[in-house]
Amino acid sequence: MTTDLPYAADAEVSLSFDELEVLRIQYAKEVESGHVTVQTKFNYSWGLVKSPVREHQVEGVKLLQDLYRAEPSRRRECLYYLALGHYKMGNFDEARKFNGLLLEKEPANMQAQSLSTLIDRGVTREGYIGMALVGGVAAISTLLVAGLVRRAARK
Amino acid sequence: MPPAAPAPTNVKLLLIGNSSVGKSSLLLRFSDETWLPEDEASATIGVDFRVHRMTVNGKPVKLSIWDTAGQERFRTITASYYRGAQGVILVYDVANRESFEALPRWWSELETYVGGKDSGGDKVIKIVVGNKVDKEFSREVSAEEGKAFADRVGSLFVEASAKTAIGVKDIFEELVQKIIDTSALWDTPDRRTGAVRTDHGRGGVPGGVQVIGGEDHSASGCAC
Ligand SMILES: Nc1nc2c(ncn2[C@@H]2O[C@H](COP(=O)(O)OP(=O)(O)OP(=O)(O)O)[C@@H](O)[C@H]2O)c(=O)[nH]1
Ligand SMILES: [Mg+2]
Repeated sequence: MTTDLPYAADAEVSLSFDELEVLRIQYAKEVESGHVTVQTKFNYSWGLVKSPVREHQVEGVKLLQDLYRAEPSRRRECLYYLALGHYKMGNFDEARKFNGLLLEKEPANMQAQSLSTLIDRGVTREGYIGMALVGGVAAISTLLVAGLVRRAARK
Repeated sequence: MPPAAPAPTNVKLLLIGNSSVGKSSLLLRFSDETWLPEDEASATIGVDFRVHRMTVNGKPVKLSIWDTAGQERFRTITASYYRGAQGVILVYDVANRESFEALPRWWSELETYVGGKDSGGDKVIKIVVGNKVDKEFSREVSAEEGKAFADRVGSLFVEASAKTAIGVKDIFEELVQKIIDTSALWDTPDRRTGAVRTDHGRGGVPGGVQVIGGEDHSASGCAC
């Protein structure tokens, strides 16, 4: 019997439009009434962070940042979803910072550990893409140079 | 996907129950054969997830096990992971009466989000687990009571301890065995008609989640 590496489930699964809409409407209603409950705000930001849409992620992270500041009792979950949100946006440094704060308080936290693995992998992947781009540019300029040289030679 | 090669059967399992009953500990014991010291265990945030491979009747089975947070504050968000589960592990703590008395509430939550009889939810196999039997000296719920509840709702029953590992394998083996045996009866025709289980146990991958937001989710269309 073998086990795959644990991974942060919340990184992969997003809500449907309707589901997010339920959370958004609840939040909007409370904003209008002048009293937003912590739970509603948290639920909505959670839904936003899980979304594949970048603007949603940005908005979610913003709301979580408010919550983090205002609600000490919700710090651990805010840290986790802040890290997740930044990870999904590709802000790996920020992601690592927030996840690190959580791991500092809860070194054995398996969810934070698996998110940490994901972040490391994300950084590596970005490294590869970066190198591929640089490599690609180099190849193109070689071609250009070759073309120029050839054209020059034909004169 | 073409029904090629000997691909593993995918099975999605769900762990639910009050906070601190030991859901994550049971999963850790089962998948990693380890146990975290009591003070190092941390409450699950939202949901956690593990993949585990095993062999049933000589065939490979890939389990995706979703470990949900029992804390009330996560209730609305964890429910969105229920859909598509073929097996549910309903955990209470034998040394905590309250966690046992919460079972009917978890049960109705399941009916809401996984579905009842009319939506095929009754095909979901359930197992009730009384955890922490190592705390015999402070037991508050007898095995008979646990078994009686399980019988009443028509589910399997096991007593276990994540700490000593007693009964832990049985939970998963009995549950998965029954899922495999049962699915052999209805899997194929069900897939053909496209009824009930659309994700075929892929574990509720993107899009495969249930509307959340508690009782007013039916009114999600209102523009109030
Ligand atoms: N004695 C004993 N303690 C246990 C056992 N299983 C879990 N615990 C302890 O109970 C506490 C809670 O365990 P968890 O596995 O985190 O509980 P949980 O159900 O996942 O809780 P949430 O994630 O909040 O829903 C921890 O301190 C564990 O060490 C057991 O079989 N015996
Ligand atoms: Mg847990």
